[in-house]
Amino acid sequence: MSKELKFLVVDDFSTMRRIIKNLLHDLGYQNVTEADDGKTALPVLQAGGIDFLITDWNMPGMPGLDLLKAVRADAKLAKLPVLMLTAEAKREQIIEAAQAGVNGYVIKPFTAETLKEKLDKILATMAPK
Amino acid sequence: MLEAQFGTRLQALGAAMERGDEAAFHTMLDDMLHSRKPALFGELRELTSNLQVALDRFRVDSRLADIAENDMPDARARLQHVLKMTDEAAHKTMDLVEQSGPPAERTSKAASILAGMWANFRARKITVQDFRALLEQMDAFLPAVQTDAEIVRRNLSEVLLTQGYQDLSGQIIRGVMQLVQELETALVDLTRISSQGVDSVARGDAKPSQAASQGFGPVVPGVTKGVVASGQTDVDDLLAGLGM
Repeated sequence: MSKELKFLVVDDFSTMRRIIKNLLHDLGYQNVTEADDGKTALPVLQAGGIDFLITDWNMPGMPGLDLLKAVRADAKLAKLPVLMLTAEAKREQIIEAAQAGVNGYVIKPFTAETLKEKLDKILATMAPK
Repeated sequence: MLEAQFGTRLQALGAAMERGDEAAFHTMLDDMLHSRKPALFGELRELTSNLQVALDRFRVDSRLADIAENDMPDARARLQHVLKMTDEAAHKTMDLVEQSGPPAERTSKAASILAGMWANFRARKITVQDFRALLEQMDAFLPAVQTDAEIVRRNLSEVLLTQGYQDLSGQIIRGVMQLVQELETALVDLTRISSQGVDSVARGDAKPSQAASQGFGPVVPGVTKGVVASGQTDVDDLLAGLGM
């Protein structure tokens, strides 16, 4: 069942979205949707059907942190697993993301192993559907 | 206005000129010029004070000084970092490509030899000795191709990840572009003051306050301020410390 999970990958750089999508495919997850900003991602999330959100932070329209907060504030989306995948590495930012309710934080540049490890860790804590 | 101010005196001046009265003409002319002086000085004073106000406002509002002192050196360092990143990414990609050549070639060569032997076998043209050789070759080939194919697969995956440089360098470049935009605005304001003078300076925007929610972009050594996580392990430790 878990390989049927539907992912939403949010990053304003198409090259990064492509890399993440490829890595997810390699891990067996075929169901991957993309969005180029928090602004365009939110309606996709609100439409339902997304099981896992992977998002960048630094995006011009709606930054990842704001997207995370919007997700946690929405009753329908509050429990959505969110992995932040970003170049933002300041300690205060990591703390802020943690306090905003992010489930995992991976900094760029990253390895395929790290992505798998953090994904598995989050999925392990998810209640079985 | 002008008639009230100068009307009678101009008439008198004209009359003096008509009757050829040089002395009277010059006296009255000097008189008029003399009365212009305070007015001229007044106008000059007002102009100077307005320019001063405009320059003061520019100095306070304009980001120009800050840009020159702080942001420009930063921008150079950031772009230098981009050069370094793209150089490293290109070399890494080429390294991986070069490393993938030999395993692919090994597989190709071994398969080609094997194919020849297999063809003989299928055509029933093979000796017992050669058949044993075929089996040995196969025994060697299968594990070798598994190993080599895995090497190539892994290298290709690494090449994919290496393209992440475009995202990171892109974020840095975008940051510098914002600076260029600000610089452009400040310089345009400055040109307006000097050419049209005084009241034409548009209220400069204060530095778009970098909301922490926006993000600071990739870490640039020597430029990024504040305490920064040194790698994924550092991030994991920090989060573990927070109970995650």
